[in-house]
Amino acid sequence: MIEERVVLLDGAMGSLLMDQGLPPGTPPEMWNVSNSEKVQNVHKGYFDAGSDVVLTNTFGGSGLKLMAHKHGSSIEDYNRKAVEIARQVCPEKCYIAGDIGPSGVFLPPVGDGTIEGFEENFLEQAEILTKAGVDLFFIETMVDLKEAEAAVKAVKEVSKVPIFASISYQKTKRGYFTIMGNSVEECTISLQDLGVDAIGANCTISSEEMVDLISEIKQHTSLPIIAKPNAGKPELIKGKTVYQATPEGFAKDIKQMVKNGARIVGGCCGTRPEFIEKINQQIKE
Amino acid sequence: MSFPEKCKDAILAGDIDLSKNLAQKAVTDNLDINAAIDAFSLAIREAGDLFEEGEFFLPELMRSAEAMKAAMTIFDPIISEGKEDRSLGRIVIGTIEGDIHDIGKTLVASMLSAEGFDVHDLGADVPISTFIDKALEVNADIICISALLTTTMVGQKRLIDTLEEKNIRDKFKVLIGGAPVSKKWTEEIGADGTAENAISAVKLARNLLGL
Repeated sequence: MIEERVVLLDGAMGSLLMDQGLPPGTPPEMWNVSNSEKVQNVHKGYFDAGSDVVLTNTFGGSGLKLMAHKHGSSIEDYNRKAVEIARQVCPEKCYIAGDIGPSGVFLPPVGDGTIEGFEENFLEQAEILTKAGVDLFFIETMVDLKEAEAAVKAVKEVSKVPIFASISYQKTKRGYFTIMGNSVEECTISLQDLGVDAIGANCTISSEEMVDLISEIKQHTSLPIIAKPNAGKPELIKGKTVYQATPEGFAKDIKQMVKNGARIVGGCCGTRPEFIEKINQQIKE
Repeated sequence: MSFPEKCKDAILAGDIDLSKNLAQKAVTDNLDINAAIDAFSLAIREAGDLFEEGEFFLPELMRSAEAMKAAMTIFDPIISEGKEDRSLGRIVIGTIEGDIHDIGKTLVASMLSAEGFDVHDLGADVPISTFIDKALEVNADIICISALLTTTMVGQKRLIDTLEEKNIRDKFKVLIGGAPVSKKWTEEIGADGTAENAISAVKLARNLLGL
């Protein structure tokens, strides 16, 4: 599919669940079990809007992250159920990606994590998602290349399905870097060498800020490139969270990213099915 | 190489042992302690500048802050002996209840502590009452409260409202932080300030206390 045309991902999950009443401090993965119809409706909304691939609601579903929320014992249920409810609404010729986000733990000197700890953490989650039957893996929002590498290695150990790996960059005065200081070149080449099937960027920055980043990634790889920016910065207006970006402006930027080399596109925090619909229209034009 | 240059190198390299040794040497050689501390302070500020320029990232800045703290552990006993309070002020800091994001907060705590503030870091997922109890217990000058989610940001407002209800709002300056926090939100809830990053947060804290 990637060779034929641009592949459309989904948009945000967490911010939509919060809009529907997910209380602060509750891991969104809990709703895979307790409010599965709400999670499923989000997936359905994205498929209806034109997504080819949706990500399971398992971004924070690794053991370390769930433990931080004191939900560590539910890892199996949360991840298995996430795949199940996505699968139930997945149309033909569409795909379910097992979403893996950061552990929330950092290596020294920032935190007290270890590479082995990362690998064990992701291995556990990847095993459950593999058994539950995901079509591919989506490793995303990684801010430390070493953690991203550990996640890729863990998935490779238990699964043969494609791996998409996406890093979260910030824009500094010297260009795009992760908060840990990994450069675009370093991340792209390292992940490519590990054998991932697509490489890209998501979260932290807006669609406008991501346009040039995609060109930079393109300089270092011939793999399909992922672009999944945020809908700008969130603002709290009269108790409601409002993101700055409009679906129109966002889709226009995505179109430019496609011109710059992006092949797999979607939205991160603050995006909604309308954003995916607009991208779909723009790309078809 | 002069003593301040050596301090600068040690701090920028994030070399904990070397920083400690230099501090110890300053003590052993009977150097002016205040001048020695100033040399280290200049170095940590330079680390902050490098961070703002995109030359330093989280690991480098944390390492420099750790090296600074290590040097200060050598100076601390001498400072307290001389009964000269070099602490710039007492700060209680934490991430609000319901929010487990603490990397930004931890960096701010480290930089404040490296600067010379007496910092009490309560960690993440901290109830309002814990912030207030601790601030009263240590007679804090500033409460710093972090939130990374728009859903938990309302906790910053609750903290200020609670301080007002208890008639102790004037006792503390309240600084708020986190990715979604804006100047507008700061004004709306009546906080005393917010900063773009850990480096600006230190400057803000100094300004607020008239330092």
